[in-house]
Amino acid sequence: MIELKIDNRTVEANEGETVLQAALRHGIEIPHFCYHPCLSIAGNCRICLVKVTGRPKLMPSCNLAVTPGMEIETDSDDVIAARQAVMQFITLNHPGECGICDKAGECRLQDYHVRYGEPESISLEPKNKKPKFYDISPRILLDSERCILCSRCVRFTKEVSGSHQLGIVERGNHSRLERLESQPMDDPYSDNIIGLCPVGALLSRDFLYQSRVWYLEPIRSVCTGCSRCCSVKVWRRNRHWHLRSLGEEMNRKVYRVTPQENREINGPWICNKGFDLHKFMGRKRLLQPMIGGSVATVDEALSEAKKLLAAAKSPAALVSAHASNEELAAFKETLGSRMTVYSREDYKAEEGEVVEDNILIRENKNPNSHGVHAMFGDLPWSVDSGHDLVLVWGDNVDYTPMGNAKVIHLASFEMPQERHADVLIPISTTFERSGSFTNFEGKVNRFTKVFDKPGLVQQAGDVFGRLGA
Amino acid sequence: MTEPRVFFNFGITDDSHTLSAYRGRGGYQALEKALRTMQPLDVEKEVTTSGLRGRGGAGFPTGSKWSFVDKKSPVVYLCCNADEGEPGTFKDRWIFEHNSHQLVEGVLLAAYALNVRHAFIYIRGEFDLSYRRLLLALEEAREAGLVGERILGTEFSCDIIVHQGGGAYVCGEESSLLTSLEGFKGYPKNKPPFPAVKGLYQAPTVINNVETLATIPWIITHGGGAYAGIGAQNNTGTKLFGISGHVNKPGIHERPTGYPLKKIIFEDCGGILGGKALKAVIPGGSSTPVLKGFEIENVTLDAESVIKAGSMLGSGGIIVIAEGTCMVRLLQVLTRFYAHESCGQCTPCREGTAWMDKVIGRIVAGQGVKGDLERLEAVTSGIMGNTVCALGDAASMPVASFIKKFRDEFEYYIEHGRSMFDGRLEI
Repeated sequence: MIELKIDNRTVEANEGETVLQAALRHGIEIPHFCYHPCLSIAGNCRICLVKVTGRPKLMPSCNLAVTPGMEIETDSDDVIAARQAVMQFITLNHPGECGICDKAGECRLQDYHVRYGEPESISLEPKNKKPKFYDISPRILLDSERCILCSRCVRFTKEVSGSHQLGIVERGNHSRLERLESQPMDDPYSDNIIGLCPVGALLSRDFLYQSRVWYLEPIRSVCTGCSRCCSVKVWRRNRHWHLRSLGEEMNRKVYRVTPQENREINGPWICNKGFDLHKFMGRKRLLQPMIGGSVATVDEALSEAKKLLAAAKSPAALVSAHASNEELAAFKETLGSRMTVYSREDYKAEEGEVVEDNILIRENKNPNSHGVHAMFGDLPWSVDSGHDLVLVWGDNVDYTPMGNAKVIHLASFEMPQERHADVLIPISTTFERSGSFTNFEGKVNRFTKVFDKPGLVQQAGDVFGRLGA
Repeated sequence: MTEPRVFFNFGITDDSHTLSAYRGRGGYQALEKALRTMQPLDVEKEVTTSGLRGRGGAGFPTGSKWSFVDKKSPVVYLCCNADEGEPGTFKDRWIFEHNSHQLVEGVLLAAYALNVRHAFIYIRGEFDLSYRRLLLALEEAREAGLVGERILGTEFSCDIIVHQGGGAYVCGEESSLLTSLEGFKGYPKNKPPFPAVKGLYQAPTVINNVETLATIPWIITHGGGAYAGIGAQNNTGTKLFGISGHVNKPGIHERPTGYPLKKIIFEDCGGILGGKALKAVIPGGSSTPVLKGFEIENVTLDAESVIKAGSMLGSGGIIVIAEGTCMVRLLQVLTRFYAHESCGQCTPCREGTAWMDKVIGRIVAGQGVKGDLERLEAVTSGIMGNTVCALGDAASMPVASFIKKFRDEFEYYIEHGRSMFDGRLEI
């Protein structure tokens, strides 16, 4: 423990910490653009300058190691003057186009300009022109005029994703961010740089002009893309801003998915598959219970399923690795003892997808295999197991290998089949329920409901309760 | 001449730069002496005694720079900073072209003192003859067993690697020189850590200017005490001064420190062109503050005296400006240079240097407005002290000093849209 004084407040810092880290940990705000806790220190934005008693020059607090008895001032006149000067420099060539910028509302530069900047620029010169809305990948647009060259994204591709696909080219105030290869950026973690960017220079093509951010609110959820179970924020429209004129679709829509920092599991990053989680969840839904291919009510479907179960001599259940721990427990309690339980993996790696790496992505593309195995073992189902009824729970199922066995299917998404299931019951997606997954390391991650489920869609736990009763 | 000479001690002929000529002048005897009779620490002691101060511009005492390095570290690197890019400075070029062997010997002596196995010479990309002469000297030295394994049959081995820069002024700043040498874009590094602790490839590194290193053979031959006896008291020895601008005989002169500035301009360089009056002097390369003609009356060429007058000795590139020169135009030349050379890493320098250039460009184009000078002053104070490296300071010091000392000229230019003089820089 090292004691130092920041603004006359005694603060305890850890060995090896910087002044900025110690201050932030104690709730003392020092503005910073280029500093990020999970990236190396660049010290290039110079907004975090502080005064150290006994030193003639202001020092960047992000690169200033704490020493015992140090005295720091973050709001003396010269610090304020230096901050105002840096804000003048940063906004010198930054276009004043917050009105059409997606970042407005969550922009660090906007916040700092209000808090630390002078109201007006003292410059009379025209702003520099640079490439605008330039694709660095099919997913990301770059606006070089807005870029303040903090190099966060460059350091991200060097230090976290390891793709080295971005760099800063040219010199002086002509410097600009650029892909280092001629082909589009194909880093599987590329979308993280959109959130890392402290200004609106890197924009998500998917979210471009979809909504102003202050109409949205984030809900904490879990990515179902692989067995890492990264924490994510799912952005839905804030209820205050549900407008009838927008229509149901726009009010009930996931606008974007961004990482939710979770030190235990994913840190502050997720992979691009996670950023696309809303597309995965937005596939064509199964909304109607069916019996043998014809429309039925929920009650009819459930009683038919119950009848089939009662008649079966050797029933089997294929348990979904997308089921939450709570649903698994409900299944075990109600039906588990009456059936042979097999585990299944709903999804396998698709062609072109990163199968596994040493950053976040895991080979198992389902969130809760660990939970399933812990509760039911990992017996794999095979065609010749000789069951006369199969209860299939989960998506991406092909009935063909089931042979003549009766099929009761609980699914969330539509999938064309050679034959009809005997009973088909629509169930909710992860966005429509709360619960938890256990990731491959055995860490439990909770998710919260984002939307109410559509009318005829059932919660799997309720279905089992009614079937088991 | 009775004054001792470290550099100008031989006549330049077609082959005076070769090894045999250098040996004929007593070359490599200092190395022989050091390797056979001295311990590395003795070499360092001699340099400390000599009071030699870095010749690159900052004037840091060389002996104490060496003493900061942990010589027991498994790897220590020595880098010779030969990226001479400061406008008005051309002394290192003379050393390369006429006496590369003196530098090689200096590098080897420093390497011996600092326990260095691999030394680097980072030479400015635009230097052509210098580069070729250096390579030739190294080849000769290698063949003669002076560079490489077991030098002169002793246990000491040292290789010298020459790296040509890519033409960036900022790579003359020591930490960006290291970044560039490591193969990255030449961005300066934040300090701490200082290069003496974590420099090239994270190993302790000493970076010395060409002239500094080339002085060491003389110090070893004649002793640190003899060197300390030359020149001014706190800034000993002789130094190369490059005089350019409006003088009759521009060129490079070796003079002991403490030599009167007026004397070097009016006697050694034959006075001001066309018999004009002296208007101003930039005493130590373009980034040092300008001195008005009357301010140099009693200035002598050593660090203390020049600082007292309000400027810096810097690299010894003296730029002489005659009466009738437009200071606004002159300043534009300087700001354009710094705006072009700012590396773009940190905000104040990246934006500020270009901003100053735009404002001064506007003034020169006759579109200056009232308030431009205050604007420039605000920009310079926003840059100074707030940047990663010294380039920001170097860019803002001339602007601040030009405006302070020649404010009437700037105001006249803004008011009338044209220069007080005919606007040309040539005489």
